[in-house]
Amino acid sequence: MSNIVEAKSLRKKYGSFVALDGVDLSIPSGAISGLIGPNGAGKTTTLKALTGLCDVDGELSVAGRDPRKARHKLMEDVCFIADVGILPKWLKVSHVIDYVEAVHPRFDRRKAEKFLSTTDIPSNKRIKDLSKGMVTQLHLALVMSIDVQLLVLDEPTLGLDIIYRKEFYDRLLNDYYNGNQTIIISTHQVEEIEALLSHLVFINKGKIVLDTLMTDIAEVFSEVLVGPDKLSQADALGPIYVRNLLGKKSYTFESIPKAQLESLGEVHTPSVADLFVAKLKEEKNG
Amino acid sequence: MDKFAIYQFYGLLRREVLEHRNLFVGAPAVVALLILVATTWVATRIDPDRLAEGLRYLSVLFDGLSPFDMAPFFMVAAAPFFITLAICTVIYLINALYQDRKEMSVLFWQSMPVSNLQTVVAKLVAITVVAPIFYVSIIFAMYLIAMVWLTVLGISYDVDLVGIGWMFLAALVSLVLIYISVVVTSLWLLPTMGWLLLFSAFARKTPLLWAGGVFILVGFLEDFIFGTQYLANWVESRTADPNQYLIVEFSSVFERVFNYDTLFGILVGSILIAGAVFMRRFID
Repeated sequence: MSNIVEAKSLRKKYGSFVALDGVDLSIPSGAISGLIGPNGAGKTTTLKALTGLCDVDGELSVAGRDPRKARHKLMEDVCFIADVGILPKWLKVSHVIDYVEAVHPRFDRRKAEKFLSTTDIPSNKRIKDLSKGMVTQLHLALVMSIDVQLLVLDEPTLGLDIIYRKEFYDRLLNDYYNGNQTIIISTHQVEEIEALLSHLVFINKGKIVLDTLMTDIAEVFSEVLVGPDKLSQADALGPIYVRNLLGKKSYTFESIPKAQLESLGEVHTPSVADLFVAKLKEEKNG
Repeated sequence: MDKFAIYQFYGLLRREVLEHRNLFVGAPAVVALLILVATTWVATRIDPDRLAEGLRYLSVLFDGLSPFDMAPFFMVAAAPFFITLAICTVIYLINALYQDRKEMSVLFWQSMPVSNLQTVVAKLVAITVVAPIFYVSIIFAMYLIAMVWLTVLGISYDVDLVGIGWMFLAALVSLVLIYISVVVTSLWLLPTMGWLLLFSAFARKTPLLWAGGVFILVGFLEDFIFGTQYLANWVESRTADPNQYLIVEFSSVFERVFNYDTLFGILVGSILIAGAVFMRRFID
């Protein structure tokens, strides 16, 4: 499988703050990739770099182009919904559709109107008169109506209630994704997208902590709930993270054969959220 | 240029008109309304015999005269629109590359396949070529209302209407001259426009203060270090004389555009605009 995103040693500083500190990243074509990290980890800077919206040092290729050289050409193949990138409030819904139709060669107006007809969004309203959920629905309807190779979503459901959030991802998966496009999603609500993901990237303090296929996680990472009598055995295997859970201790291991762990307790694959915490704690503890 | 590129550019211009309809349409419409209301108010306070006499005088004055000779009379009458357009142009340009950054919709605009050069050129064309079309149209509507009003008065006071017809022709010619004057003046003032766009793209806050402040600082430093005032004199030479902004003869257009001063200004303006395009790249 070829990679739609290839990044090597990406660096970006804002004054003395290092936003990206040698980011290496590969995202396979056709993947739904989750970019997970705490606030200030470098998620938005990474996504802006991928879409040519900020200048970075290092090697970068997105859909076969360098985003720093021809952003506008890249944007024919890439769509982006920013976390704070609001649609212009003074525009009417119909004007936004007119605008995208005029400037984007791969926009399908009928598709957008079909998507919008299933929502409560009136076409004659201004953006400022819509709720945040409606604005997100509108933005999603626009990008889903553009035939692109890569869709980049930066905290797309931030500030939305659970109904809008669920609907957002349902639509993305059922009405848009057909296996040919690549989707990169950055979010805090890891649990909501875990089932969608086929690729996972953890980022912390401007560095990539984990870059793996979801199918590899079960092979590489294990979580075991260990009773008090086997703690010393578990500690000896070098867990990457230990936490207290219901009077026992939950150990997360990396690259330890499952057969070796089965004697400690029931072995299962950690959730993305647990793995995220584990990797960040491991990083913090060195 | 392919068909889609033209359609795309039309989309960019349409966006500018929608976003700035107050500057493009609202402001001149208010000026026209004020002029019509003020004129009507004044007319109601003039003795009807004196009004009829004045109308006869105007009718005789314009009768048979070339509309091209009389057009400058109407250009002077359009001065409030020139002033309004100048103020609106400054407001437009200083916010052109700043406002969307301030309200953060820039990330939406930048997520479309439109280059920064296309964006900046569309904004310049919108204010220098498209906005004057709206201004001229509104002046035309105002003249039309005025002519209907004068015709009704003329019939009431038994004034020869042929002269009023000639007056209307002169007004129409003046609209063409007004439009050409605005477009040529835009080329003449391209350095000022480029300067405003540059700081619109650069400033994180108060772009007008930056544009004015840096200009004053550069002029002050020139005077302080070299003891010269080339910058101030150059700007004064391009702005002080109102005749520089008016074209009253079609034959002078070529000469006004293709001369050393204008072409040098276009060069300086283009460099500043290129700087604005470059700054626009780094929105973070």
